[in-house]
Amino acid sequence: MESGTRDGPPARGAPRLIPFGGGKGGVGKTFVAANLATTLAKAGHRVVAVDGDLEGANLHTALGVPRPRSSVAEYAAERVEDVEKLLEETPFPNLRLIAATRPNLASPQPSHALRIRFVRALRTLDADFVFLDLGAGADSTVMDYFMVCDDGVVVIAPEPTSVENAYAFMRAAFYRRLRLSMLSGEVRKVVGVAMDERNERGIRTPLDLLREVKAIDSEEAQRFVQVMRAFRPRVIVNDVRTAEDIRLGFAVRSVCRKYFAIDAEYLGYVNHDEGARASVRARRPLVDSDPRSDAAVYLARIARKLIAPRIEATEQTRDST
Amino acid sequence: MKPLAEQDHYETLDVARNAAPDEIERAYRLACSTYAPDSLAGYPVFEEGDVELLRERIEIAYRTLSDPAARAAYDRELATAEEAAEAGAAAASGELSAGSEEGAPAPVLEPLDALDELDESEGEWSGARLRRARLRQGVELEEIAKTTKVNPTYLRFIEEERFDGLPAAVYVRGFVTGFAGCLGLDPKRVAKSYVHRYEERKPGGRRRLFSRK
Repeated sequence: MESGTRDGPPARGAPRLIPFGGGKGGVGKTFVAANLATTLAKAGHRVVAVDGDLEGANLHTALGVPRPRSSVAEYAAERVEDVEKLLEETPFPNLRLIAATRPNLASPQPSHALRIRFVRALRTLDADFVFLDLGAGADSTVMDYFMVCDDGVVVIAPEPTSVENAYAFMRAAFYRRLRLSMLSGEVRKVVGVAMDERNERGIRTPLDLLREVKAIDSEEAQRFVQVMRAFRPRVIVNDVRTAEDIRLGFAVRSVCRKYFAIDAEYLGYVNHDEGARASVRARRPLVDSDPRSDAAVYLARIARKLIAPRIEATEQTRDST
Repeated sequence: MKPLAEQDHYETLDVARNAAPDEIERAYRLACSTYAPDSLAGYPVFEEGDVELLRERIEIAYRTLSDPAARAAYDRELATAEEAAEAGAAAASGELSAGSEEGAPAPVLEPLDALDELDESEGEWSGARLRRARLRQGVELEEIAKTTKVNPTYLRFIEEERFDGLPAAVYVRGFVTGFAGCLGLDPKRVAKSYVHRYEERKPGGRRRLFSRK
């Protein structure tokens, strides 16, 4: 089993955290995350799938765990302090779950500080990959989790509402990342102004904003450029039916570059599959119930790309080989 | 990345400088569908006027790059323009370019760490974090020195963690307490955290004598 970890990170060391967001609900984030997690686990990687959506938890169902014993809700209520205690076995070896079921609707959402502590704890888990399946929307509770890395996954469906929300989501994530990275109060204020699409200063794209920042402080401008370059969300198009749907990923990438100066990567697509619906109803990941289906094959391809070393890491890879 | 109006033909079509003819053909077709009026990917962002302009640029880029003679002429033009730009950039150094920069790049915090710092009650207080907290509020070291009556050199040493230049822990605790107070931070917590670091890292520090063998 361990031999499957060839192209992943070494067995020791912190797991790689990968968030799955996308703004709109119902585009298949949970389906994609659950199936990719299962695919990697089946290939011998140790995966922890975390449900980050307290409002609409259902990752456990997608993975075939009917009644999770523990939940992020326990952590949020500070009844459980040790994240290890939230881990739950799934029907698949190598794949564990942290569920987000919320038996008591009055129980609180985790505070900002608690969310950060949670993510830090996730980093100490004994695993190769930790997936974070996020809720819909782009508010701070979702964004905090998307910020665990610079190359989170954005899942979209080929429909206008989803594409629109995906742009809003990536834009929100990018500006949040920028504002967090800027040190001077003045520059932060300008970034805040730019976050409003209809701002009076006519800052429409990050490049307009960069010009303003440059005028204020050159060190901050340098930092800005670095953040801009590092921020590389990765797009998956789900439920694809036509060749045009497949091209949507490239088109989104192009628009991101030209309109938002965001260098998004097209990770791949999952085609429409009647079996997908059936698998959800059967509460079993498609890659397990029907590994030969087209969708499962595409998911496997995405899984390989997903865990490939990041581009920045290529120098190291070259040295070691 | 550059603003649309400054992009060259290759950037407009999103292809490499050495793209083969069939790649250019494919890129052009993709660009046409992406920036068509009813495009699924484009409609949320298109604004009247600018997308027409973009389509025009795509058209010109394609016409130039798909004709070998025109492309060769354009490449020569690009090369000359870039040489001139490089010479200009060298003259007016300090300007930001896409490539390497002289000197160390400005450090950027990891996203999670940056997020963490927003909550000032959490985490360890290093000199770098104190400095960031100060810069974020636009406060100069001299101002802090004036209020706290602490020698600005010591304040700088605190930020740079030059522990060998700092006096004994009791004094450092006092300095950091004042420093943190000026920034509206929790002085007790910050001082405690900082002094802990100081004691662990100071050459010949107390911690090392006791806790390490």
